[in-house]
Amino acid sequence: MKNKISELRKQTGLTQEELAKNAGVTRQTIISLEQGKYNPSLGLANKIKKILKQKYLEDVFNLE
Amino acid sequence: MIGKAEWFKRRKWLGWGLMPATWQGWVYTLVLVLPIILVTYLPNISEKTRVVSLFIWAIIFSLDLIHIMVTINKDEREKMHEAIAERNALWTVIFVLAFGVAYETSKSLIATGSVQIDPLIIIAIVLGLVVKASTNFYLDKKD
Repeated sequence: MKNKISELRKQTGLTQEELAKNAGVTRQTIISLEQGKYNPSLGLANKIKKILKQKYLEDVFNLE
Repeated sequence: MIGKAEWFKRRKWLGWGLMPATWQGWVYTLVLVLPIILVTYLPNISEKTRVVSLFIWAIIFSLDLIHIMVTINKDEREKMHEAIAERNALWTVIFVLAFGVAYETSKSLIATGSVQIDPLIIIAIVLGLVVKASTNFYLDKKD
């Protein structure tokens, strides 16, 4: 699933490690997410959306 | 318990169990292994003392390792990867065990006219079935 995690993360000034720690996942999971290789659960997607200070999931993930 | 889960990560590439992930994990491993080497090779220790010490140390070691493996933190992606990898490994083991049973059965039938199978193979398969059924029962109840 395509997403804007990398772009939004950089805008928020977070490193992959920081985003991983805040989301309760490993850095490897964040890397896989940013590369679109892993589709997160709804819970994790929601957590990431909040950390990246976005209002809607669609602002982070391409849900099509 | 003695060891902490955050000192380790699950072993992915070579075998099962844990790999030290921090310097504390390496120290823990050394502290765990050193007494075994000392007790095995130190002179002037009776054989009985050696065996009893190693047995007690193995129990402490095993319980601590199980505790670490159960409490080790894994995110959803790691849990999924572990589940798939362990499932594939288990299917391979079951396939080989089933082939082993078939081979031993036919070999013993031809040679002696009766079925002779290593009971450990049967025990392994039965225990695996029990663990699978119990786990599915627990998960169905939980969710």
